[in-house]
Amino acid sequence: MRVSLSEKYELLGCIQCGRCTAGCPVSLRTHLNVRRVVYDGMLGTGPKDAKGRPEAWNCTTCSNCTERCPKGVKPMELVIGLRSAAIEKGRIEPTIRDALESTLKHGNPWGRIRDKRMEWAEELNVPVAGEGEAAPLLFYVGCTPAYEPRTQSIAQSLVALFEAAGVEYSTLGTAESCCGNEIKRMGEEGLFEMLVEGNREEFGGHAVGTIVTGSPHCMNTFKNEYGEMSSDTIHYSQFLAALIRDGKLTFPKKVEKKVTFHDACFLGKHNGIYDEPREVLSSIPGVEFEEMDRSRERALCCEGGGGRMWVEAVEERGERLAETRVNDAVALGADYLVTACPFCLLTLEDAVKTSGNEGKIEIIDLAELAAMAL
Amino acid sequence: MNIVVCVKQVPETAEAELKIAAGGKSIVEEGLPLQINEPDNYALEEALLITEDHDGDVTVLTLGHESSEEVLRMSMAKGAATAIRVADPVFDGGDGIATARALAAALEGVEYDLVLTGCMASDDGNTQVGVALAEVLGIPHATYVTQVEVGDGEVTVGRELEGGLIEKLKISLPCVLGIQTGINEPRYASIMGIAKASKREISQLASGDMGLSADAVGEAGSGTVLEELTFPPAGEGAELLEGTPPEASGKLAEILKEKGFV
Amino acid sequence: MNEILVLAEHRNGELTDITFEMLGKAGELAGAGGATVAALLLGAGVGEMAQKLTGYADEVLTVDHGNLTSFNSAVYQPIVAEVVKSRGPSMVLIGNTAFGVDLAPSLAVELDAPLASDVVGIVVDGDTFSVTRQIYEGKIDARVSFREAPTVLATVRAAAFPVEPGTKSGSVTEFAATVPEEPAMRRFVEYVEAAVGDVDISASEVIVAVGRGIKEEENMALVEELAELLGGVVGCSRPIVDAGWLPKDRQVGSSGKTVKPKLYVAVGISGQFQHLSGMKAAETIVAINKDPKAPIFSAADYGIVGDLFKIVPALKDKIAEVRA
Repeated sequence: MRVSLSEKYELLGCIQCGRCTAGCPVSLRTHLNVRRVVYDGMLGTGPKDAKGRPEAWNCTTCSNCTERCPKGVKPMELVIGLRSAAIEKGRIEPTIRDALESTLKHGNPWGRIRDKRMEWAEELNVPVAGEGEAAPLLFYVGCTPAYEPRTQSIAQSLVALFEAAGVEYSTLGTAESCCGNEIKRMGEEGLFEMLVEGNREEFGGHAVGTIVTGSPHCMNTFKNEYGEMSSDTIHYSQFLAALIRDGKLTFPKKVEKKVTFHDACFLGKHNGIYDEPREVLSSIPGVEFEEMDRSRERALCCEGGGGRMWVEAVEERGERLAETRVNDAVALGADYLVTACPFCLLTLEDAVKTSGNEGKIEIIDLAELAAMAL
Repeated sequence: MNIVVCVKQVPETAEAELKIAAGGKSIVEEGLPLQINEPDNYALEEALLITEDHDGDVTVLTLGHESSEEVLRMSMAKGAATAIRVADPVFDGGDGIATARALAAALEGVEYDLVLTGCMASDDGNTQVGVALAEVLGIPHATYVTQVEVGDGEVTVGRELEGGLIEKLKISLPCVLGIQTGINEPRYASIMGIAKASKREISQLASGDMGLSADAVGEAGSGTVLEELTFPPAGEGAELLEGTPPEASGKLAEILKEKGFV
Repeated sequence: MNEILVLAEHRNGELTDITFEMLGKAGELAGAGGATVAALLLGAGVGEMAQKLTGYADEVLTVDHGNLTSFNSAVYQPIVAEVVKSRGPSMVLIGNTAFGVDLAPSLAVELDAPLASDVVGIVVDGDTFSVTRQIYEGKIDARVSFREAPTVLATVRAAAFPVEPGTKSGSVTEFAATVPEEPAMRRFVEYVEAAVGDVDISASEVIVAVGRGIKEEENMALVEELAELLGGVVGCSRPIVDAGWLPKDRQVGSSGKTVKPKLYVAVGISGQFQHLSGMKAAETIVAINKDPKAPIFSAADYGIVGDLFKIVPALKDKIAEVRA
């Protein structure tokens, strides 16, 4: 007996108030109307998968809809459910197919081989935990900082910061596999579960105490979706803030730049981490910090999450949200728009070019900024 | 419209630095992910598309070790109804023609209207199996096929020749077609789908079941013998420009300027 | 060693290069083995082509018949088999082309003869032959020998052997073969030309070609900008066309276009032979690829081993600098 979408996602509580759509960042510029999707789900009408409803792929899984729902309905889960249904039928965009197949074969969605996962560390002395070796403090790099050329400097900067603070840490080296955050949000439940199982085994095998992630996406899924873990997970901004508080990390150099900060959805909205990145920022000498209007809980999603790195938005119109963000930062007169998420970094950098702001502002990761002050 | 698709599991070698194993007759496969031979994946998709339009079943057939059942399961997850593995160490080391003979024997008693297979294997670079299989089965063939249209008791195919010229042929069924990449966009097989398919049976055939003697198959039954693997001679070819990306590009830009391209 | 038989290949009344490449090699091998070279030419109205072959073979055998107007392996195969059975050559060479690949394996089964495909090297080995093939997309060479057999078959990769001037003066003989009717089970319908787009890359002096290494369609802009900077056009390897990112007429390679530009820059292209065959003749070839062992580097004049996403932007900057 097939479970209806309504039952599966507990949609009957919906009162069609529309707060979800009102808070959905992509509803501003695409056909995704999440209230309508829930309505169809409740009545059993409308397309049953993302193939029939392609705008389901526009969702960035920022979870505004779920946060705002007064009745505890989770529209985002339904949207992901539509994606899962399309995946089970195999009817997905080739770029998504390739990202999923790559993750299965190589442990990362970028189509790169496992052997090259530590290429970012070639010129550095990065400790790798050997077979059975304990790793009390694990630096979990993440697929994007490991492989993507622009964001490799996030990983490299963190290594420099750890060394400066005298931190003893290790990495999983080329045994590190995708955390699965985006995989889950693209709807491939089976692959996600496989990754969870593999990663839990890996962490267990090294008796990992604390995981420090290079990306908020990885932190989000380890912390919230991996179930009971013997390790705890924090994002690097939390780790650096603690090092600074303890006096272990100090910044001898000045970085004389005006900066503003973009709160990544998976750091801020999903996990409430707003203060620690700001603590790190304010500890860097020379930095002049000004808040954007839409900051913290009100930050505007850059449209990089929820699988959007691997699929073009369907029927989009107008200014991309990342372009709006860049324009906001330029209007503030900021030299740097700082972020602490590799997807935000890539998406915002693209937006600098497409919004015609090249030369007016630079997108810098928090770790890169801190490393500049070493 | 029942279709047989012959598939092969191959290592993925695109970005990898290969090593030749001791003995010099194989590569070190450890660390190389295994996958379906790309052209076979297109052949499988074509078969699934045809049977979606013309009622029928897809049977996947492979000759390989136990790991190749992964490819069969993936194919079943995508929609293949039946899977057969020719499973017997005696088939090891067979060349294209020997493999074709083994596959033909495996198809004894199987009812099919059409046989599809990838036109080439990405590991050994051979383009033999499909065409040889047709001859052994006594049915017509065409290879490097980029278009297939099913008609009444026949197919109209487009073969891709050098320069992108298409040769159109009408071939009666049953026949064997060697499928070229790009003919369609293969679908995805989910992990849950593959897990479900793992519960289904894969028939395993040994040489005895197929009425073949040991000297007609595998290495013993092959006309060609692999003697040695070596790396192509280095030292000839490009002058490599060293340095960081800006350094190396700087050198290249100078060279291009000297040659009048800039 | 008995004679070496070479199956001539032609299109639109012109013999293709592979024919002369094979004949040249056959001549070299036959010379070493004290044997002769015979060319086998099938077609309709082949007189002129037969004459052109006399410089390259000791004997030119022709089968000239209306049923051979268009290549149909189902018609060619029984004829070639008859010739082989009648003359017992030690080796038969067929081009590893769309034509040859559609014929050789079924012919091998009919004759119960060993077949080595896509060979790039052939040497005499005692009283038989040994060949070299490439595997794993050109990364490894394989030396292959044949089990004992009166006749061995090999398909030869295009441009693996050079075309030398012909030094023979062979005779032309008609071979009285039984020429079958085109079988009902396999009928030629027509040829369809590849669609012609707005850009003819073979007319451009500069081509910047992109391959799988570009990863995503949205990264293509990187290559387009480089092409513009150099005053050239964008070409590509097969996977880019398969993915639908560029039309077929931008494809360089054996199933695409053969180009001879002054400058060919291969970005993220591994250099599988199907691609190489389409651009080897370019005057200056530059390759950018992550993999130091990529076969493209053996064809290129200059190469940079590294990440194209770092190198291409840097190259664009440097070109602008050098211009100033």
